[in-house]
Amino acid sequence: MLEIKNLHARVGDREILKGLTLSVGAGEVHAIMGPNGSGKSTLSYVLAGRAGYEITSGSITYKGEDLTALSPDQRAAKGVFLAMQYPVEIPGVTTLTFLKTALNAQRRARGEKEVDAVGVLRLVREKAAAMKVSEEMLKRPLNVGFSGGEKKRLEILQMALFQPVLAILDETDSGLDIDALKLVAEGVNALRSPDRAMLVITHYQRLLNYIVPDRVHVLSGGRIIKEGGKELAHELEAKGYEQIIKDAA
Amino acid sequence: MNAPVSTLNARREKAREGFRSNGVPHRRVEEWKYSDLHAVLGADKVEQAGAVSWKINELPDGVELFDLSKKKLPDWVKQHLGSLTRTNAMDAASLGFATSGFALRVPRGGSGDVKIRLSGEGQARALIVLEEAASLTLVEDAAEFSGFQNIGVEIVLAQGSHLTHLRRTPKAAQAIRICEISSSVARDATYRGHFADFGAKLSRTELHIALDGDGAQTHLSGVGVLNDGHADVTTHVTHTGGKTPSTQLFKYVAGGHARGVYQGKVTVAQGANGSDSRQTAKGLLLGNRAEIDLKPELEILADDVKCAHGAAVGDLDAESLFYLRSRGIPENEARALLMRAFIGDAVAQIENETVRASIWQEVDAALEGLS
Repeated sequence: MLEIKNLHARVGDREILKGLTLSVGAGEVHAIMGPNGSGKSTLSYVLAGRAGYEITSGSITYKGEDLTALSPDQRAAKGVFLAMQYPVEIPGVTTLTFLKTALNAQRRARGEKEVDAVGVLRLVREKAAAMKVSEEMLKRPLNVGFSGGEKKRLEILQMALFQPVLAILDETDSGLDIDALKLVAEGVNALRSPDRAMLVITHYQRLLNYIVPDRVHVLSGGRIIKEGGKELAHELEAKGYEQIIKDAA
Repeated sequence: MNAPVSTLNARREKAREGFRSNGVPHRRVEEWKYSDLHAVLGADKVEQAGAVSWKINELPDGVELFDLSKKKLPDWVKQHLGSLTRTNAMDAASLGFATSGFALRVPRGGSGDVKIRLSGEGQARALIVLEEAASLTLVEDAAEFSGFQNIGVEIVLAQGSHLTHLRRTPKAAQAIRICEISSSVARDATYRGHFADFGAKLSRTELHIALDGDGAQTHLSGVGVLNDGHADVTTHVTHTGGKTPSTQLFKYVAGGHARGVYQGKVTVAQGANGSDSRQTAKGLLLGNRAEIDLKPELEILADDVKCAHGAAVGDLDAESLFYLRSRGIPENEARALLMRAFIGDAVAQIENETVRASIWQEVDAALEGLS
C-alpha cells in the first residue's frame, strides 16, 4: 500500500531523511522507533505533504500512485491521515464545525454525497462516546483550552470519523498518562482492519504494549538501520538506542 | 473643545471659518497621516458638495423626526445641533456647509428601531437625541456610490439611555466617504457602535465618544474586509465620569493594494477613577502590497484606572493552514475558514441577530474574493 524508496528530504538547508526505504502492506501495523532528531516527525510531515519539507530524491508510492504529486487535502481525501504530535489550536472555529467541514470536503473530493448537519452530529456523537469526548468539547473552538490528553483523543476521534486507508500516528503517546494512553490505544486498535495500514511513530516502547505492531523499524540519522518483529521494541527498551545504533553500524 | 457658541447660526459660521482656515486635511496632519484626504479631494469640492439624500421608512411610535433642510428648527434641534462639534476640519465642513440631514429624538423612556439609508454624493448632518432612559437601535445602510460623501453625526445620550448604532459601508472603489460621529454619554448611558467597511478609494470613520457621566459606557467594534481600497477608523474615547468602562475591538483583513487603518486614542481625565478601558486592534495581511496601520494610544490623568491595549498584524498561521488541509479542506476553503475565525469575535459584538447575520453574509462574500 505504501512504498517509500531511498527517500531524501530536507528542511531548509538541512537534509533530514537520507535514503529511507520502507514498505507497508494493507492490514499491517508498522512501528517506527527512533531517538530525538532521527527524522521521525519529518517522515510524518513529508507523508502528509507539509510545505517546507522538500523531497530531493527517492519516491513515495501510495496505492500505486505518486503521493508527492498530491496536495495535503488531496492526500486526505484519498485516505491518508496524520494524527499529529502537536494538534494546533484554532480559536474561532468550533470543533464540530471543523469536523463537518473536513468530513464533507473529503467526501466532495471523492465525489460522494455530503452529510447534512444532523447526519454529521450523529456520526460524531457515535465516535465521541468511545473517545470520551464530551458535547461541551465539541462546541468549543478547535483544541483551544484542551488538555494534552483531550487533544490526542480528538485526533483519534477524527481518525475514527474519516476512516482513513493509511493512518500515521506521530508520537500519539507523548504527554499522555496511562489511562489516556490505554483509551487512545483502544481507539486505534478498534480501527485495525485488513484494508487499513498504520504507521505508529514513537520514541518509547510503552505505546507498543497496547498497539502491538506487525513490524518494527529503527530510524536513525534519517535511515532505517534495523528492522524486526514486535520483539525488536523490547530489545530497544532493554538495550537503549545507543547500543542498537552501534550494533547496526 | 472650543468655548460653547450660543446660536446655531453662529456655530455654523464658526464651523465654516474653521474649515476654511484648516483646509482639507493632509498626511502631515498627524491624525490624517495614513489617510491623505487632500491628495484626492480639493477644498472647493467640499464647499460646493451637494446634499446627501436620506430615507427612513418607518418611525417607531413617539420617536420624532425632523428634516434639517426645513427652515424653522424646533428648539431641541437648535439647542443641540453643532454643540458637539470638534476642531476636525471635515466635521466643521459638514456642519458649516451641509444643506440636508435629519434629527431624531427618542422621548424619555421610549424605544425603537430605526433604519436609515443614505445615498449619493454630498454632505449631510445628523442629530440623534435620546432622552432619559430611552433606547434606540439605529441601522445605517449606505447605498453604493462614487464621489465624495461627508456625514457629520452628533449623538446626545441622556442619563440611562442606550443607543446601538450599526454602520455598514459597501465596497466602492471610486468613493471618498467621511463620517464623523461625536457623542456625549451621560450618567449610566451607553453608546454601542459597530462598523463594517468593505473599502473605498478613501474611507474614514471618526468617532469622538465622551463618557461624561459616572457609569457611562461605550463599546465599539468593527471589521474591515478589504481586497483593495482603504478603510480608516479613528476613535477618541474620553473618560471623564467615574467607573466608566469602554471596550474597542477592531479587525482588518487586507489583500491586494488595500490599506486598513485603526487609530484609537483613549483619554482618562483627572478624577475619572474606576475607569476601565480595553482596546484591541488586529490585522491580517495577505500579500506584500497590502498595508495595515494600527495605532492605539493611551493618555491617563487619573490614578485608579484599568487600561489595556494591544495591536498585532500578521499573516495566516501556516501551521493552522496545514492542519486544516491535512484534514482534507482545500486551501481556499481553509484560508477562508481561518480568516472568518480571525474576524469572528468582532462580528460577534453585534447583538442584533438579523444585522449580525447580514454582516456575516457580506463578510463571507468579501472573504471569498480574498482567499
